[in-house]
Amino acid sequence: MSALLQAELLKLRTTRTFVALVAAALALSLLVVVLVSILADEFNDNDVRNLFTADFTGLFIVLLGVIGMAGEWRHRTITSTVLAAPDRIRLLAAKMLSYAAAGALLSLIVTLTIMLVGTVILSLRDKETADLADLVDVLWRNLLVAALVGALGVGIGAVVRNQVAAIIGVLFAAFVLEPTLLGLAPDYGRFGPTQGAPSGIIQVAGFDGEDTENLLAPGVAVLVMLGWIGAFFAAAAARLRGGDLV
Amino acid sequence: MAPVEIRGLSKRFGNVLAVNDLSFDIDAGRVTGFLGPNGAGKSTSLRALLGLVRPTSGTATFGGRRYEELQRPSTKVGAVLEDASFHPGRTGRNHLRVLAVTGRHPPERVDVVLDTVGLTAAADRRVKGYSMGMRQRLAIASALLGDPEVLILDEPTNGLDPPGIAWMRGMLREQASRGRAVLVSSHLLAEVAQSVDDVVVISGGQMRGHGTLEQVLGGDEGPATQVRSQDDQRLARALQAAGHDVTALAAGGGLIVPGVSPQDVGVIAHDAGIYLVALGQQSRSLEQAFFALTGGESIA
Ligand SMILES: Nc1ncnc2c1ncn2[C@@H]1O[C@H](COP(=O)(O)OP(=O)(O)OP(=O)(O)O)[C@@H](O)[C@H]1O
Ligand SMILES: [Mg+2]
Repeated sequence: MSALLQAELLKLRTTRTFVALVAAALALSLLVVVLVSILADEFNDNDVRNLFTADFTGLFIVLLGVIGMAGEWRHRTITSTVLAAPDRIRLLAAKMLSYAAAGALLSLIVTLTIMLVGTVILSLRDKETADLADLVDVLWRNLLVAALVGALGVGIGAVVRNQVAAIIGVLFAAFVLEPTLLGLAPDYGRFGPTQGAPSGIIQVAGFDGEDTENLLAPGVAVLVMLGWIGAFFAAAAARLRGGDLV
Repeated sequence: MAPVEIRGLSKRFGNVLAVNDLSFDIDAGRVTGFLGPNGAGKSTSLRALLGLVRPTSGTATFGGRRYEELQRPSTKVGAVLEDASFHPGRTGRNHLRVLAVTGRHPPERVDVVLDTVGLTAAADRRVKGYSMGMRQRLAIASALLGDPEVLILDEPTNGLDPPGIAWMRGMLREQASRGRAVLVSSHLLAEVAQSVDDVVVISGGQMRGHGTLEQVLGGDEGPATQVRSQDDQRLARALQAAGHDVTALAAGGGLIVPGVSPQDVGVIAHDAGIYLVALGQQSRSLEQAFFALTGGESIA
């Protein structure tokens, strides 16, 4: 298993898509944090905490997971991958775990960077800064979300297999479907895998000022995410197990 | 136990019975040609061997284990499939590094196989920019990475230039001489005739011939002898008296004696006191043999 994990992480590192999406995640997160910490005036310590949830790793790692898994079919590398690791279910599990690990690692880098930069700017402006306990709290939540959605992306890619359809589906769910549901029917929206449940884990509402009352409790949200991942894993495993790879 | 054993292997795709009850062994130290016209079921059979295609019935085992059950399969079986595909954005070297990590091979193996296939200079270029022949070489390098006991190659000369084809043949022979079992498919008998020891001929998914190259080329009765003499009619009578079938060729073309060696024909002629003008073994031509075995479905 560890050989498979290493191989998947090496695969992930050796494409340009990875470098581009990681740079984008870091740039976008930094942009938001720098702008907000330079421009914001009325700032309490809860705002500072929320500021540091602006880690966009999750969005990018879910896309990387989709791209990495569905890409095996797009580039028709699935046969050579399966020849090297013929237990297809283990392969799927290894791919999910490696994207979870990559998500957590990237989130660590991005979150620490934005915390450092944001805190420096805020203290230069003599504004309120977050205390260490808050920072640690945000950090692990960000990491957990990135890990979970990394695995989720792999599951989605393995079920859908069509790379473009899977990417469009994820973007649609994350930016149209789930935000709409969260606004109109939060009782359903909060269970969503790309926004609803992750927001429950992080315990932050959108920047448009909604409160966190509608969200799931963090523990429940984690379970809901694991449920989504398990469902995609089961569906992908069923497709993989019996099927011909040609 | 043979390194590869195929027993009653069948694969159905909807209405198409692509592979129909194939059974044969592949022996160590030999190159086995897997021959058949287009659509005969070669690729499907090879993919079923490798567990990529789920057989409808039957088994294929390597040392008694199915491919999926092998520990570190890359040390047991190396495969080059039709239209080998790679992630276009990754370099050849990185592709091999990933396989080396998966198979727990030392990183130096990557350089060794790159050198073996002559791809060292292009190793750090993205596969996107590779020619078809270069991709084929990278696929072969991938198969050789674990120095496997069995090599399975589906039409590996596709995309190779004449020097590349010659290199390929030499490589297959060398692997066999090191005791490896090599199975190589082709729809051209002539292309592999120079480099294979055994052949398995399939057509319409079914086995049509199996044996050494000589046996299969010779047909069921083995090679025939072609003979011309001072008096073919007398010779024909002498041969028939010795219990052999004789076919007379048109107008002074001599006689064909199936299933009898030239030496035996010479002895009979000598005993009958007949001078021979020409005596030799007649093999069916490659095309004849292939046509006969595959039911003339396709021109070799
Ligand atoms: N995935 C598939 N779905 C349906 N039919 C298939 C599939 N793969 C192969 N076939 C059919 O099975 C038969 C054997 O095909 P296969 O590719 O194994 O032949 P082949 O001997 O490799 O031919 P070629 O020399 O052209 O490569 C053909 O009739 C083909 O149409
Ligand atoms: Mg084929």
